[in-house]
Amino acid sequence: MKAAYEKPAILRLETGYLNKFGNSPMYSRKVRSQIDAVTIDELVERFGSPLFVFSERTLRRKYREVHEAFATRYPHVVQAWSYKTNYLKAICAVFHEEGALAEVVSPFEYEKARALGIPGRDIIFNGPHKPMAALRRAVEEGAQIHVDHLDEIQDLEQLAAELGTQIPIGIRLNMDTGIHPQWTRFGLNLDSGQALDAVKRIHAKGRLVVTGLHAHIGTFILDPEAYRRETEKMVQFANLLQERFGYTIEYLDVGGGFPSKSRLKGTYLPPEVAVPHIDAYAEAITDALYANLAPGVFPRLILETGRALVDEAGFLVTTVVATKRLADGRRGYVADAGLNDLFTSFWYRFTIETDREVQGMNEPAMVNGPLCMNIDVIDEGTLLPPLRRGTRLVISPVGAYNVTQWMQFIEYRPAVVLVGEDGSVELIREREDLSDIERRERLPARLHRP
Amino acid sequence: MRPTFDEDLATAPPANAGARGARAHLEAVLNSYSEVLFLRGPAMGLLILAVTLSAPSVALSGFVAVLAAYGFARLIRMDVRFLESGFYTYNPLLVGLSLGYLFRLTPLTLFFLVTAGIAAFVLTHTLFSAFWYYLRLPVLSLPFVLVSSTAYLAAGSYTNLYITGLYPRGTTMLDTALPLWLGGFFRSLGAAFFVPSVLAGGLIALALLLRSRIAFLLAVGGYYTGTLALAALGGSPSSAFQNLNAFNFILIAIALGGVFLVPSPRSYLLALIGVLTSTVLLSSSEVFWSRWGIPVFALPFNVVTLTFVYSLGLVEFPWMAKAVGTPEEILDEQLTHDLRFPGSTRTLSLPFAGRWTVWQGFDGPWTHQGAWRHAYDFVITDEHGDTFRGDGSLLEHYFAWRKPVLSPVRGRVERVVDGLHDNAPGSADRGNNWGNLVVLADDAGMYVEISHFAQGSIRVKQGEWVERGALLGLCGNSGYSPQPHIHVQVQSSAQVGAPTLPFSFVNYAAGDRHFANDLPAVGTRVESMPPEKGLESRLGFVLDETYRFRVRTRDAARFPGATQDTVTFTVRMAPDATFQLGTEHGSLAVVTRHGTWVAERLTGNDPYLRALFLALPSVPLVARPGLQWQDHVPAGTVCTGAKRAVVRLVRSLAPSVGMVTVHLAFEDRDTITGRVASPLVSGELLTRVVLHPVRGFSSIQVGTLLLERDDDVA
Repeated sequence: MKAAYEKPAILRLETGYLNKFGNSPMYSRKVRSQIDAVTIDELVERFGSPLFVFSERTLRRKYREVHEAFATRYPHVVQAWSYKTNYLKAICAVFHEEGALAEVVSPFEYEKARALGIPGRDIIFNGPHKPMAALRRAVEEGAQIHVDHLDEIQDLEQLAAELGTQIPIGIRLNMDTGIHPQWTRFGLNLDSGQALDAVKRIHAKGRLVVTGLHAHIGTFILDPEAYRRETEKMVQFANLLQERFGYTIEYLDVGGGFPSKSRLKGTYLPPEVAVPHIDAYAEAITDALYANLAPGVFPRLILETGRALVDEAGFLVTTVVATKRLADGRRGYVADAGLNDLFTSFWYRFTIETDREVQGMNEPAMVNGPLCMNIDVIDEGTLLPPLRRGTRLVISPVGAYNVTQWMQFIEYRPAVVLVGEDGSVELIREREDLSDIERRERLPARLHRP
Repeated sequence: MRPTFDEDLATAPPANAGARGARAHLEAVLNSYSEVLFLRGPAMGLLILAVTLSAPSVALSGFVAVLAAYGFARLIRMDVRFLESGFYTYNPLLVGLSLGYLFRLTPLTLFFLVTAGIAAFVLTHTLFSAFWYYLRLPVLSLPFVLVSSTAYLAAGSYTNLYITGLYPRGTTMLDTALPLWLGGFFRSLGAAFFVPSVLAGGLIALALLLRSRIAFLLAVGGYYTGTLALAALGGSPSSAFQNLNAFNFILIAIALGGVFLVPSPRSYLLALIGVLTSTVLLSSSEVFWSRWGIPVFALPFNVVTLTFVYSLGLVEFPWMAKAVGTPEEILDEQLTHDLRFPGSTRTLSLPFAGRWTVWQGFDGPWTHQGAWRHAYDFVITDEHGDTFRGDGSLLEHYFAWRKPVLSPVRGRVERVVDGLHDNAPGSADRGNNWGNLVVLADDAGMYVEISHFAQGSIRVKQGEWVERGALLGLCGNSGYSPQPHIHVQVQSSAQVGAPTLPFSFVNYAAGDRHFANDLPAVGTRVESMPPEKGLESRLGFVLDETYRFRVRTRDAARFPGATQDTVTFTVRMAPDATFQLGTEHGSLAVVTRHGTWVAERLTGNDPYLRALFLALPSVPLVARPGLQWQDHVPAGTVCTGAKRAVVRLVRSLAPSVGMVTVHLAFEDRDTITGRVASPLVSGELLTRVVLHPVRGFSSIQVGTLLLERDDDVA
């Protein structure tokens, strides 16, 4: 086959310099021709491009890895699947099958969990916005409610009076764990005494019973010691509630925020080096539990792991639809998926792999999405060998937050498939078409084109 | 009025207390009679009393002696609870009967009876304490033998007594009407109460048959085995069948076959061996004692039974009866008990959190041998059975490495070794087999040794008190350990390397199956199940609390007696400090032991408590949906009357016949469903219990019987 003509460009070649990563960035190749033994070719042929691909094997492996890390150190470990991270039914169902409860933060997510057949008692209802009707349903169905603010306490007390019962609740705490930013927006502050005041008030009224504590100190936290401090403070507060008010604290929900092997923009080291193993978090948390709990007393330890479970199981397959030489000499590629499908690319730099071996030297390149918007950049400057139109790129890890925060903007949202443990591939969300988007629209009759 | 009046009023018992008191006294006296045949109950006692009346002097003398002993016991302020069982007064009764057999009741013999009765009581009391303390044996009727022999010896010199009181005896028509081999049995049985007549023996045999088929059959078997042996040895069947002392054979057979041992072919064989060995003793005592004019009494029975029981105790014979009651009750109770609580009394919790795999158990092929055969090793494995990730060349590759090790018992730290280095995988420190270790002294008198901690990881100090589940240190690879693992053993002293003792693990799960007290097999993945606070408090009954239930639907076929509209369970404490749920018709003893809530024993005859017992014989205090467990209840819980009698009799030969297995599971965090599986239960019997959010149960359903909570404890 005759090679395509390309206008020559002059590039400075740098080889032989010392670098601590061992191999030359000029020649290193990242190739992923298959996901769980299913070839990218086959996937795109069957389901089109762009395409989100999830690996069931990885989902389950990650879940078990986290569970083992904690459960071999402490009894009564429960994981709650954080719906907002990825609430595709199939993904939730896999985690529920592994034993996860549902952690929801809105009436919509609550309904989603119920529609999946999760009973109320297996739902943890978090979040700053719980409308009265949703609260009532959650109380009636026995969901585990974590109160965020005093107004919600008032709402719950009113409900308890109406229903003539006591309602068991958990309290969302926020606190200084020595990291920045400190998430003080959610829950009641522990350090200032606000949380204790709230409990005094709950106790005085007697309509609610505090049975658990909840906190969530942030997201993508790279320092396990922050969790040690969080756990310490929570257990000490639980001990205080037990002594002062006689509440039996049945569970401690330390939240999530554990990082995945993704590369936060602005970090220097690759995630393999920068992100501690989940064991380090488990050790810090359980150490703090043993050091502060009364011996032989084991309240349930609840984890709301989201990103760390699902991120690495998700891939986005996209196709190079055009190649360019940019004015500054960089290579430019237009892919058929962009910011509309990869909302998290604002904060994370993904791994970009080609679906096949490509010859030639790596050179700086910019990868853009299909949007006719200047912001649609997947990677501003990465090293890629010369790609030809039609080459497929596999972008990862993209399992967390993308298929919930993605936008229907300019383009349709792509299909999502799940590669089963046995290698079968199932469509878990169809590619959108016009009817999806216009279903809720109403065109006034006077504006109809004749 | 004089002020003393008030005082009198204050100490006077309430009006109806007198009646109840009189009844208690009467029952105490009657129980003395039934206790001779190891069968409790005043009704049986009354019948035997009536039977002895066929020889009025014997009956009266026995009664007088019991009264004397009872009165004396009250005089020295003995606790009435001990007296009521008849346990201390059957020896005085026998002494009285034996004297009544010799003398007619006159003022002079009355004096003799009273003193002998009191002497028998004091001797019983003394010997009971000494026997129990030094030998762990009961006194049986040894005091009777000693006192009666003494009295008979003494009577020889009381010429006055003989002149006025010698009691003439004759035979009745009935005694001669029956063939010798049959009449001999009845007369012997009667002779146990010093009324050796066919009528008396026949009535006692009938009562025995009604009360316990097993005891009756043992009596028959024992009598004919012993007597035929005597006949063979002596060459004269007729004299053998006329030997009244053959009642010893009957007592030995009942005691060994069904009272001190759990009824089974094994116990029956031992009973017959006991009877055969007693023949020699019987004959020799007859020869020896007759020189002094004393009958043999129950000497052979006492000697044979006591030595057999003691000897079996020394070898820790596993089928000794621990329950009390008729042989049938002992059988049902103990077979069920053995099924329910298969583990030992040296109970450990698993020394870790999460799922670990048994690497080596008792009598393990590598190191658990000889004096150290009672030990367990645990590792963590993945789904492929590997204990490490990567190539396993570094300690960090091993799943068990530096995982928390938790205290398996509650006790004091006796010894700590913490400074030995961790071996590289595949190598072992042969100089310090036990590596870094902790030795704990448990309250129950055993020592627990846990080995192979990581260097410098132990968090407890010598002398420190630790609770079950407290963090001891981290799993390591010190000592004779080729890969990180936890080694645990129980030993009789705190010495490192002391010989080991058998033990068992409590409250663990293997897969979805919960075990209250058992030993997991090698290769099993097991998980410790420490109790959840919330569930513990929901099933932690508080004294005097009451739970009222409305009976929504009935089950006339299975619970014919359950006809009330409401039923109330009250939490009470029994004298032995166990808690029970009670109604006026019965009680269910409940206890929380090492993280499992257990309904231990049902007494009385309350259909609602019976339903609760069936629906909830036990609950692990970890409400994990899908968690399953198995339990057993006595056959008497599902059948009554004649059916129960037949089942229990057959059960002594084929224990599985009356087995009632209950399969239970947590359907969700509040609901426990169960299925009763037994050949005794026709059709499918399903149960369902919903736990109350605060305390107790919201509803209890067994078959179609449905109880719903009708009060609000909140």
